[in-house]
Amino acid sequence: QFYKLLLGVSGISVEKNITLDSATRIELSCRLDDKHFHFKSVQVTWKRGNETIRHINKTENSWSIQLTILDNSKLGSYNCTLKGEQELSAVFHLQVPKIEGKEKAIVSYEGDTAVMICKSSGHTPIAWTWYMTNGSEQIAINDSLLADKYAINRMSANVTHLKISKLTKEDGGVYWCEAAFELGKSKGKLKLKVLSIMVPLKPFLAIVVEAVILVAIVFLCEMYSKKRAKRA
Amino acid sequence: MQTKDSNPPDGGYGWVVVVSAFMVMGLTAAVLKTFGLFFVEIQQHFDELASTTSWITSITIAIFHLGAPIASSLCVRYTHRAVVITGGLLAFSGMALGFLGLSMVWMYATTGFLQGLGISFSWTPAISIVSHYFSKKRALANAIASAGECAFAFTFGPFFQWLISQYGWKGALLIIGGIQLNICVCGVLMRPLASSCLLESSHSETETPPGNGASRTDKEDKSPITHKTFNWMLVRRPEFVLYAIFGILAAMSFFVPPLFLVPLSYSLGIDESWTASLLSILAMVDFAGRLLCGWYANLHVTKTVHLLTMTITLISTSLMLLPLANNYLCLAIFTGFYGFFFGTTVAVHITVLADVVGMPDFDSALGLFMLIRSTGGFVGPPLAGLIVDMAGDYRAGFYMAGATLVLSAGFLVTLDQLQQRKQRGSQTKTKPEKSALPYPSLHLLKLQ
Repeated sequence: QFYKLLLGVSGISVEKNITLDSATRIELSCRLDDKHFHFKSVQVTWKRGNETIRHINKTENSWSIQLTILDNSKLGSYNCTLKGEQELSAVFHLQVPKIEGKEKAIVSYEGDTAVMICKSSGHTPIAWTWYMTNGSEQIAINDSLLADKYAINRMSANVTHLKISKLTKEDGGVYWCEAAFELGKSKGKLKLKVLSIMVPLKPFLAIVVEAVILVAIVFLCEMYSKKRAKRA
Repeated sequence: MQTKDSNPPDGGYGWVVVVSAFMVMGLTAAVLKTFGLFFVEIQQHFDELASTTSWITSITIAIFHLGAPIASSLCVRYTHRAVVITGGLLAFSGMALGFLGLSMVWMYATTGFLQGLGISFSWTPAISIVSHYFSKKRALANAIASAGECAFAFTFGPFFQWLISQYGWKGALLIIGGIQLNICVCGVLMRPLASSCLLESSHSETETPPGNGASRTDKEDKSPITHKTFNWMLVRRPEFVLYAIFGILAAMSFFVPPLFLVPLSYSLGIDESWTASLLSILAMVDFAGRLLCGWYANLHVTKTVHLLTMTITLISTSLMLLPLANNYLCLAIFTGFYGFFFGTTVAVHITVLADVVGMPDFDSALGLFMLIRSTGGFVGPPLAGLIVDMAGDYRAGFYMAGATLVLSAGFLVTLDQLQQRKQRGSQTKTKPEKSALPYPSLHLLKLQ
């Protein structure tokens, strides 16, 4: 696969995010925008961190490198720098697919069942693992061990569900869903909040009492004004 | 018949009724509009498809429309107050039981059926009683009451989201149910008028009107004495039929723009937050339009039918121009126009119904009108969707809505011509009747 970045105005960083889930060969290319720049002599360096990459293929106005990505170690940010009259640079970020958790907490009640969903956009993971946070530790959830409490279902290729039954207050907290790809792992964060039934019941009862009181007041006012009208 | 219509309060306690109706509008229609926020939560909890979950709202809307004539006939038999209180209790129970969330079918029965029935039993009498309490200031009163829907919808959006984030969707449903119990409070405030329908029906057989019937031949119904039951004879009246057809066509077009505004906006490249602001603009100008139209109609400068025809024409113009927008500013301006004229139409169309059928039949007419109009509401969105799919562009939906409205305006014009012709005809009739005054009053009835 071929990825290209166009270098134009200096000072503005040009970046590209590339998501890879399985072993592949890719070619990254940096091209000089010939509308803006005509450098007489150009020095190009490709780097990943501190490591310089030697084999650069040069064509008319572009410089590219070829990479074979087999595992996690080859992922990262690849930087190409063009030095001429000005210095221009571009960065390619090679990453595993990101898993999105949920920003908002999932609110559920004691004794109820909660379903937590994780999706991987576009790329299919090899496996999913769920973790719950206990203090600062992350503990993997074993659904065969506690089958009546936890159930992990792979609903489709890219979606996983964690179903927690008979919720208690202790079940609340941060959960992680981890997707394993050939090239690495990626995590998504979810929050679960477990409330007791009393929590919404209090405002509910308050409002009901308020409504009943208002109805009573209106009725009494009306009966009173009717009595006054009758007397008058 | 005359005792009630010749002496509506037109103020005083009537304004309390208007405020109470304003609240009922908000607690019913606005809740229905904002229910979409629960959609994703419920869908994920029960692990169902989006289409299966959307049935909840479909059931609510269907029961709302089907329940309207039932609510109207109950109003005629019992008082408006009783029906609104019943509606409040039903809506409250629907939401509160929805808190238990046992299954999807349970949600259909509670937040779908019970809620729909409750909303129907609260909304219909509330709209109706405002018209009963006012005659000269009816347009203004109706407009203020209907503005409640916009005002509440504007605040319920963020409020419901906050409730869901604090208490989860189940707790939020419970609390909203409690809030809907206040519909009963509003209902208690809706004092029945001293000269109610029940009194009329017992009097009209024995008493004869004191001879001033000549002046209001058209508005007074020649309907049979049976006020206690639902008046089906309305379908025989050409004015009502014309207005009902107008209602169907208008309903077909009304549900379309809100549906396609968001996708059209996305297709123009406008992002989520700006699109959401378009909806807020719509709500705000809707509110302004309703109040302004009510105030203007109250001046009695133009006939309400003429006013309605004008507003419909203006909406259809905005809808035809809306597809020309290609950036946010143009879209916002046209949306503003559309929302404003939509508000004016909603504010005045119930008043026109009252003017078309007259007050004695108004309750039945309202229920029947809502029922007939619902067919337009069911046909409109799928038809528009079909047209959009065929044309491959969301703009086609707006053109369809605009065209349907122009067609509906045609029916309004026909209705107006018919009414004018009848008025001219009755004016020539009143001359011989005036000379009949010295004759016994029973003879007068025969001439009428």
